[in-house]
Amino acid sequence: MSAATTVPGAARALATARSGPTFARLLAAEWTKLTSLRSPWWVAAVTVLVTGAITYLSAQASSVDSGFQPVDSLSTGLVLGQVGPLVLGVLVGAGEFRTGAFRTTFTLAPRRLPVLAAQVLALTAFALALAVAATAACVVGIWPPAASRGIAVDLTGGDAPGLMLGMVAFGVGLALFGLALGALVRRTVPAMLTGLFAVLILPIVLMMVSDPMVGADPASTGLVDGAVPTTVPGTLMAFSPGGAAQLMTIPASYGPIDGAPDLGPVGGGLVLLAWIVVLLAAAAVRLHARDVR
Amino acid sequence: MIEVEALTKRYGSTTAVDGLTFTARPGTVTGFLGPNGAGKSTTMRVVVGLERPTSGTATVAGRRYADLPAPLHAVGVMLDARSVHPGRTAYKHLLAMAQTHGIGKARVREVLAQTGLEPAANRRAGTFSLGMGQRLGIAGALLGDPATLILDEPVNGLDPDGVLWVRHLVRELAAEGRTVLLSSHLMHELALCADRVVIIGRGRLLADATVQEIVARSERAGAVRVRTTDPEALARELLTAGADVTPQDGGVLQVHGASVDDVGTAARRCGVTVLELGAESGSLEDAYLQLTGDSVEYRTADTLGRTR
Repeated sequence: MSAATTVPGAARALATARSGPTFARLLAAEWTKLTSLRSPWWVAAVTVLVTGAITYLSAQASSVDSGFQPVDSLSTGLVLGQVGPLVLGVLVGAGEFRTGAFRTTFTLAPRRLPVLAAQVLALTAFALALAVAATAACVVGIWPPAASRGIAVDLTGGDAPGLMLGMVAFGVGLALFGLALGALVRRTVPAMLTGLFAVLILPIVLMMVSDPMVGADPASTGLVDGAVPTTVPGTLMAFSPGGAAQLMTIPASYGPIDGAPDLGPVGGGLVLLAWIVVLLAAAAVRLHARDVR
Repeated sequence: MIEVEALTKRYGSTTAVDGLTFTARPGTVTGFLGPNGAGKSTTMRVVVGLERPTSGTATVAGRRYADLPAPLHAVGVMLDARSVHPGRTAYKHLLAMAQTHGIGKARVREVLAQTGLEPAANRRAGTFSLGMGQRLGIAGALLGDPATLILDEPVNGLDPDGVLWVRHLVRELAAEGRTVLLSSHLMHELALCADRVVIIGRGRLLADATVQEIVARSERAGAVRVRTTDPEALARELLTAGADVTPQDGGVLQVHGASVDDVGTAARRCGVTVLELGAESGSLEDAYLQLTGDSVEYRTADTLGRTR
């Protein structure tokens, strides 16, 4: 016990003089954690390749049409490409809980919430680079079909700049949606399945239900001039995470999807953002108020 | 300094830790002992702020863990070898830890060397053996040069070399004036490296004493072991002298209630040749089994447990 009085001054000075986890430090650590795993790189590589390839195939198929507009095919690869950012986000959000690494993370930063914020920022940066690369792959994908028809692709005019911006925001948004789900659910597989259902399946189901030609709504059968009334399923679709995200990948000049309110790409983006914020807030409450085990 | 006071942690109707109070002091290795499910890990998780106590307090250096300005510098924590992402290399895992407190790469290299992990620095943690995982956990705990260390089962899965290394390391850390709290289910391990032992069973404190004090409580403490050419004759002699004798294999007698001197004199009296004679010290293991056995026994008769 006498040793208690002979604590080396050095050890004590170190403990008090050194500073703790600032936000910038947590961000650097989260970036290291994200980029030191193999899965994000695999997901990114596969996403870029698949997105580009599907865009190419889709544009190639459309190029036989007389009214072929290459830019219309630009976002077709995202049908499958959207899975990548979603998976990436879920892995970041739930990965630490799946592996037990959260114990290390939250003993280093017992205040916890800044860690979640740092994960959001680190993932945003990574997903932004991924979304830009995937969009570039789409641009490359429409080039050969356009050239085969002798059409010059103009990315500076018309719908193209807005569409490309929307595609990048779409990728980043889905990654953050995945992170929020993963951080809330804390288990990879359930979070992944929930995300895929909300983003891929739900919009398709709602679109089929909302289609005025298929639907039972008698008021909508008399449409002739494109004045489509909004339906309940259509509205739900536009406000669902996946439906809202898809609005960002539809050129503004196309107008609303049948039966859905006209939110436009910006409106769709804001709806997705609201989903992300709500889920992140729920995850933050759980993280802050409950034990991490 | 780690102070746990009247700590209780319940999960629904299950009580994992029940009114636990103990202190781990600077310059001391405090062993934390208990059967599986006794509440050791729960207590440690509460101390480092991963879980909140239902009631009571746990502080490190006089503060709640969550209020420490620089946790990594104050407390080195190794909770579980599975606190590492298996897809990350040892170096990157430690680097990310270091970055949270602005610690440089040089220090990361240092703890890798100190724990003998240098050759495995660029291997993914998922490929590590249990022993290497423990070394990585210890490396992380040492990273911030903390005044307090909390190590959950650090020798679990280590080879004999590693066990020796940990034993020396914790002694060294305590000699430098640091507080070391070390849990183990290996009783003899704690006997060799702990100054004090805190024993819990079913979430309750069973003993908080020095290793010697606990050994002295052991049933076998004070026993004398004697090997003779004629154990029966000596046993008769000792029994008449009022001692308690337990015959064992190979002509050995275990004697209670008599000193080594008494047994030697008795042997001379009955003309038996003594081949071996010595005091048998109790082991921490015996004391531990006795204590935890009691805790199970008294669980239904609570008043008995209290009066002890």
